[in-house]
Amino acid sequence: MTHYAMVIDLNTCTGCNACMAACAVENQTPVWADKWRTRVHDQEKGNDIANVARTFFPRLCNHCDIPACMTVCPTGATYKMDNGIVRIDDALCMGCQACVLACPYDVRYAVEYEDIHTAKEFYNEDVMKRSRPGVDKCDFCHDRVALGKQPACAATCTADARIFGDLDDPNDRVTRIVRSGKATPLLAHLGTRPNVYYINEHRQEEQP
Amino acid sequence: MSYEMQTAWGLSIAIYLFLGGLGAAVMGVVVITDMFRISNREHPTLVVWGAISSIIFLAVGSGMLFIHLLDHLAVLNVLNPLVLFTKPDAWIAWGTQFIIWMMVWGFFYACPYLRSAKGTRDMPLVGNGAKECGPVCKLMGLCQKYHRLIGWLTIINAVGTVAYTGLLLQSFPAVALWHNPGLPMLFMVSAFSTALAFILLLQYLVIKEPDQDLRRLFERIDLGLVGLEIALVFFFVNYMLSGSESGLRSVEYLWNSWGWLLGFIGFGLIVPLMLEVGAVSGKLRGHLPVVVAAVLVLIGGFLLRHYTLMAGVYEYPW
Repeated sequence: MTHYAMVIDLNTCTGCNACMAACAVENQTPVWADKWRTRVHDQEKGNDIANVARTFFPRLCNHCDIPACMTVCPTGATYKMDNGIVRIDDALCMGCQACVLACPYDVRYAVEYEDIHTAKEFYNEDVMKRSRPGVDKCDFCHDRVALGKQPACAATCTADARIFGDLDDPNDRVTRIVRSGKATPLLAHLGTRPNVYYINEHRQEEQP
Repeated sequence: MSYEMQTAWGLSIAIYLFLGGLGAAVMGVVVITDMFRISNREHPTLVVWGAISSIIFLAVGSGMLFIHLLDHLAVLNVLNPLVLFTKPDAWIAWGTQFIIWMMVWGFFYACPYLRSAKGTRDMPLVGNGAKECGPVCKLMGLCQKYHRLIGWLTIINAVGTVAYTGLLLQSFPAVALWHNPGLPMLFMVSAFSTALAFILLLQYLVIKEPDQDLRRLFERIDLGLVGLEIALVFFFVNYMLSGSESGLRSVEYLWNSWGWLLGFIGFGLIVPLMLEVGAVSGKLRGHLPVVVAAVLVLIGGFLLRHYTLMAGVYEYPW
């Protein structure tokens, strides 16, 4: 079996946002309305000039093993593939947005009729993957993955901050990092069993 | 860490939750009152007016959810009863079916009473005129034959709908205000309290039948429910004051909202409680205290849903 997962190294992310751009073009997301499948938060930490640091926090769907979004979906539009990817069937989704509220990671957003019309002009109708409004989110670029490619965000990451792999393969880099305990999931206490792991940032500063 | 309030569900969903709970509880109460012969008699007028009101509430409430949908055509996917076999873990699937079937069975339960209820007995086709109309008459006869079975089906779906409104919010794990066992209970108590308030308004202002014993009973039960609701709200606040930042921030938001403090707690619970105590104890006479209390309870019921939705706080690790 295959169990896709991602490790995000917060130490190497440079905040170039190439992942956001690659994802937007690959999946035709309504970026003009500030709707993205993946985001990189640009954060400033520290309270004085000697102690300040700029950090970046990429995030995307966590493709949980127990997805709260899938449980609440009344039509079965949200489903989990055998390889662990959580997807939305656009034909079934009526856009009640219960999944938006159920997701603890704020990775789902509403695609409205207006977004579909604008996307046809913005991206070219011939390449559009969706034609109906509904809820949208990251699907690990499942179509690319099926062809043996990396998700667009991981493939374009210049800093090796996004590492995509198979947790069921003991020799996979992702599996080795996760098993080492260096990377941990977000909000694990909620019981959703997420499959995106983070290597926490280590401050590169002089110790007092 | 960052903390954000939910923005996906707004006023239309608050109205949906309020009217869903109110409508279902009204239907449940009038059918139970009639089926179990409370006050030792049938209550055709109460059933007909209650059922009509309930169906209107449910239709308007469901309409609010429908308007909120992103893809209106795809609603067909959840109207199909088979959805319960494919998505038995989704409360919206259950809620949709409960609402639909409660309206259907509730209508059938009220059907035989259309000929005897005040307000409909003189209407053509459904009233006494129905005697001359074959199909309507047969339908009424059929409903009368299976009246008790239909009543049970109505009650089950009504209670299911009332419970669903709280279970729906409870299924969102990241928000402490919603994801706890108390919320469905609070919504259920509130739904039956608002339902009794609405039925009292019907009795005092519309039906105007000599049913003082039933009114007194409803006033007493509503008084108990409002008291229980105050206790549950206190338990809620106590629960959220410690244990999670999400809960604490929800309390802070509610505590700083006049609509919650003054609107819901003050005028939606405490004032009606005092008025109902006065009416039940006989210190306040006449219809006015009960009518005012009922209107306030209804407003409070809506404010409860509105602020409960608004105050959902997410804790994000970025």
